[in-house]
Amino acid sequence: MEIEHDITGKLIRCPKLGDEMTLSYCLQESGDLPCARIMRCWVSCIDVESFLKEKLTPEQWEKFKNTQSKNKVVSLIELIEAAKSKK
Amino acid sequence: MEQVKVILQDREIPKKWYNVMADLPTPMKPPLHPGTGQPVIPNDLAAIFPMNIIEQEASSKRWIKIPDEVLQKYLLWRPSPLNRAYNCEKLLNCPVKIYYKHEGVSPAGSHKPNAAVPMAYYNKMAGTKRITTETGAGQWGSALSMACQMFGLICRVYMVKISYEQKPYRRIMMNTWGAECIPSPSNLTQAGRNVLAEHPDSPGSLGIAISEAIEDAVTSKDTKYALGSVLNHVLLYQSIIGLEAQKQMQKLGVYPDVVMGCCGGGSNFAGLASPFVCDKVHGKNVKIVGAEPTSCPSMTKGPFAYDFGDLAKTTPLLPMYTLGHDYVPAPIHAGGLRYHGMAPIVSHLVREKIIEPRAYDQLKTFDAGVKWARSEGFIPAPETNHVLAAVVDEAMRAKQEGKEKVILFNWSGHGLVDLAAYDAYLAGKLQVYELPDEEIERALNAIKDFPKP
Repeated sequence: MEIEHDITGKLIRCPKLGDEMTLSYCLQESGDLPCARIMRCWVSCIDVESFLKEKLTPEQWEKFKNTQSKNKVVSLIELIEAAKSKK
Repeated sequence: MEQVKVILQDREIPKKWYNVMADLPTPMKPPLHPGTGQPVIPNDLAAIFPMNIIEQEASSKRWIKIPDEVLQKYLLWRPSPLNRAYNCEKLLNCPVKIYYKHEGVSPAGSHKPNAAVPMAYYNKMAGTKRITTETGAGQWGSALSMACQMFGLICRVYMVKISYEQKPYRRIMMNTWGAECIPSPSNLTQAGRNVLAEHPDSPGSLGIAISEAIEDAVTSKDTKYALGSVLNHVLLYQSIIGLEAQKQMQKLGVYPDVVMGCCGGGSNFAGLASPFVCDKVHGKNVKIVGAEPTSCPSMTKGPFAYDFGDLAKTTPLLPMYTLGHDYVPAPIHAGGLRYHGMAPIVSHLVREKIIEPRAYDQLKTFDAGVKWARSEGFIPAPETNHVLAAVVDEAMRAKQEGKEKVILFNWSGHGLVDLAAYDAYLAGKLQVYELPDEEIERALNAIKDFPKP
């Protein structure tokens, strides 16, 4: 997918990366879904909820809305199991 | 002449780390294995961490001895100075005394080596030959690269591609310390290849980089993985910051009213704060504040506090209060915003009301950082600017309340490798503004090819 680097002309300091990012990056940070922090990071600039509802399919929106964050240890174990299957 | 710095002698460096797990008012529930639903056991993590580190991750021992080999490396820059910020105090003109731990004096320029050095050491002791990790803009990656070099370990860092391209200096630091820095997604792992097959121009993400680093560790001989934040053992290693600060404050005969740090994954905050948490749990009157980023000045006009989320991570972030405003959260905020990147220990202490979380928008943080640079001289890392915003806020509160306060905070790193962030701020590119309808329309058009499931 082509990355649009200058959607708004503005940058957000991404607390996950420690780098300045555009909205287009945040929209695809989780693959087919936006970054889970997108609401908090961009809410002062745009109505993120309306924006995402328009942009995402209803299924994507539901998936995004219901994304559960995981305990770090749990997510590490999931990644370990996934990696073992690639051995 | 006023005394600015409190310096500890090398021999005064703390010889043990402090483990706040021993003093939690209520125990934390163990994480559950996603496959079995049973509490995680050490072997579940043995594929990526050596057992000596896993034991510390699970330990509730209050004090853990720092190995001599680690102390010897720490002495390259530790004990770090405790400074009094007289110039900033004058600038703020508030009834506060401001002290800070200067963690920017480490070779990598931040607090990160406090954890990287023991991780490299314990891996070396366990027979590890090679360590993998991921990094965003490179602060952790560079610290681990240095630490691996110190103990003769091979280090490979998967760096999120967009930062790899935008931020060459930390990559160069990693290379200088002998590490291999790979832009992620890469074709070196199945996880990376999968992403590239679907999105050849993917800019990467921290999630992809973690997947690559773990796959590399699991599938390669004598290789382990290292994580620079969030986990208990990382917070344990960082406790040296607060332990030194306690000794230094004691030399001055001063005890802080407020202890502050910036919270990303929680390691630098907990590093300073955890020994003071111990004091607080045992009756000391000290306020402990964690500053986090947000971007909602139009909603709150001031700091915005919220719950970090519960232990099972099944509840959303819930806005709790705002200063000077009654903030009624939109449904999405109460029902759908579910991010949790904070250390479980820190989250737990927030829920126990031992730590007070506050959030500051990026403009306020950079404003505080520039104030600091123009008064105290040192240019802070952008993450450090969050706690500086909290310090300014606390000083203003002291003025409003007419109370004298002693503030202690963690100046977690310098910003000399992050000057592009200051450039963006000074050029107005970071300015928060209301997006006009036509901009939204343009944005929607720009991403119309966004893949649908």
